Amino acid sequence: MRILLELVLSGIMVGSIYALVALGWTLIYKCSGVLNLAMGELTLIGAYVCLTFYQWGFPFPVAVLAMLIMGFILGLVTERLFLRRMIGEPILSVIMITAGLSFFFRAVVGFVWGTDTVVFTPPVFPQEPVRFLGMVFGQVYLWSFVAAIVLLLVFVWFFERGRWGLSMQATADDEMAALSLGVSAKWVYALAWAIAFMAAGVGGTLLGNINGLNISVGYLGLLVLPAVVLGGLNSIPGAIVGGIAIGVLQNLSDAYIGPLTQGGVKEIAPFVFMIAVLLIRPYGLWGWVRIERV
Amino acid sequence: MTYRSSGVYHQTYAASHAWWQTNFVRAKMALLVLFVATLPLYANLYVISVANIVLYTMLSALGVQLLTGYCGQITLGHAAFIAVGAYVTAMGVLFWGLPYPLAALLGCLLAGLWSVVFGLPSARIKGFYQIMTTMAAQFITVDFIITHYVSRVGGREHYFSLPPGTITIGGWPVDSEVKVYYLAAVLTFVCFAALANLLRTKVGRAWIAIRDNDIAAEAMGVNVVAYKLLAFFAAGVLAGVAGAVWIPSLYFVSPEHFQLSWSVWIVGVILIGGVGSLHGVAFGAIFVTVILELLKLAVIPLAEFYPALTERFLYLKEAAFGLAIVLFLLYEPRGLAYRWQQLKNYFNLWPYAY
Repeated sequence: MRILLELVLSGIMVGSIYALVALGWTLIYKCSGVLNLAMGELTLIGAYVCLTFYQWGFPFPVAVLAMLIMGFILGLVTERLFLRRMIGEPILSVIMITAGLSFFFRAVVGFVWGTDTVVFTPPVFPQEPVRFLGMVFGQVYLWSFVAAIVLLLVFVWFFERGRWGLSMQATADDEMAALSLGVSAKWVYALAWAIAFMAAGVGGTLLGNINGLNISVGYLGLLVLPAVVLGGLNSIPGAIVGGIAIGVLQNLSDAYIGPLTQGGVKEIAPFVFMIAVLLIRPYGLWGWVRIERV
Repeated sequence: MTYRSSGVYHQTYAASHAWWQTNFVRAKMALLVLFVATLPLYANLYVISVANIVLYTMLSALGVQLLTGYCGQITLGHAAFIAVGAYVTAMGVLFWGLPYPLAALLGCLLAGLWSVVFGLPSARIKGFYQIMTTMAAQFITVDFIITHYVSRVGGREHYFSLPPGTITIGGWPVDSEVKVYYLAAVLTFVCFAALANLLRTKVGRAWIAIRDNDIAAEAMGVNVVAYKLLAFFAAGVLAGVAGAVWIPSLYFVSPEHFQLSWSVWIVGVILIGGVGSLHGVAFGAIFVTVILELLKLAVIPLAEFYPALTERFLYLKEAAFGLAIVLFLLYEPRGLAYRWQQLKNYFNLWPYAY
């Protein structure tokens, strides 16, 4: 029982990081309808930028701030150069342009930073484990969880109260109406990419603190896909719940199904689960059900 | 039979879909066959090895073109089915003592059936969700079943390597680049011809109807699910052929060869070549491979000044490929096949513009 609880709690902690990245994905999809396969590469770029600043001797908060600014600028540039012209194109073109970008970004990261695993030195978070009701957690997990939750709250506040957030909601809801009321759809699309870059960067930085950083952290970007499918593609609460659920699912399947197999369960369990979701409820928990007519 | 298509007007359906419409086409195809057949006589081994990569890429991308370009089912997991073909072929030769052609046939069949399994969800879902299931097929097949179970058969870790001389076709060992080249070339011709013929039949028309509008196709009496599954089967078989060709070219097979990036790569190949065109498969494969070889040649002199270029050439290659996909989608969304078509139209009617 205690083991189960420990697994679930640590799953929630890692899952909250996934939720953060999934939120960025959903935001892009909601605002501009682009299905993004490059999310993992966005986390990689953010994490490596932050690590580089940290290694130059800046304190961690400054490094994160620098990463956020870089992410914001990169997001605006990416959207302007590559994605603005793809709006309304067939789904294959839109997906493949993000797949092309993911090839490009990953290659650039690999070229600049190499393939070796690097860690944040000195460690950002204290190393001693925390004990809680007899359960043991690494402090990294706890701090990541806190950071992710705080950021999720900031995002929610931004959408509910902020001027930009409201204009994004309006565009996602009804683009025509939003345009006629003076919302700039171009700015909203650009902003969605900028925020996605920033969210993914924070997620990547937190994951880099947990396990060290190498090019396979980009795998996280693919885990975001089961999360958003579970939550429903265009639902922000769905992205958060989906991300956390995927984190828990990974931990549980690793602990309970893993010993029965020869390994690798943790990596594919989210995808098997996703197929099941797609067969039963393709629109996810809170996604819109589309009715098609000829 | 005229020489040029200027002034030829088809009066029957069969005539407009005929293969050999003019003597010019016959001559062109004869020249192509002659060129492919005699290439090893005057090309060096480097050119042959590049040609092998081109042929393997074509065979890999052919199934994707069938699924994505002709049946509208987007796939990002095609490497999984290539892997099934390759692994069944390798295991058939290595463990079960089958002759290579029989093992390859078995590989194609199993790859087709395995592809149908992951085509089943297409009965309910499409678009982005379809992409997700095929991607899941990739992870389940290659990263789980093959890496953790199949690779451990026979106590070998991570890869199978076949002893030299075990791959024979009717007593002829396939053991050099040139022999692999002929094998791959013959299989590529057969697969292209088979697919081109299939697309002219009822089945092909049903696939194209599903691609253009599946709901309308169903209303017209096309059994959408059955034809989608048939498309998955045919694409899987083509992937199996690619897998079977992969085995003699390296005599060694590992899960590393069939990662997600290869699945995305072959979709990129058909995008660059042109979606929904058999010419596109050939053009895309040639373009991508040749551009990357040229890049390699360009890097060699530069590496003197910046040695990291050669160590990290793999990344340079991927960056170039990613950029190529992006630029083609932005500036030439219909691919190279469309340019070719325009060029052909111009010269077909030349010197009259009608």
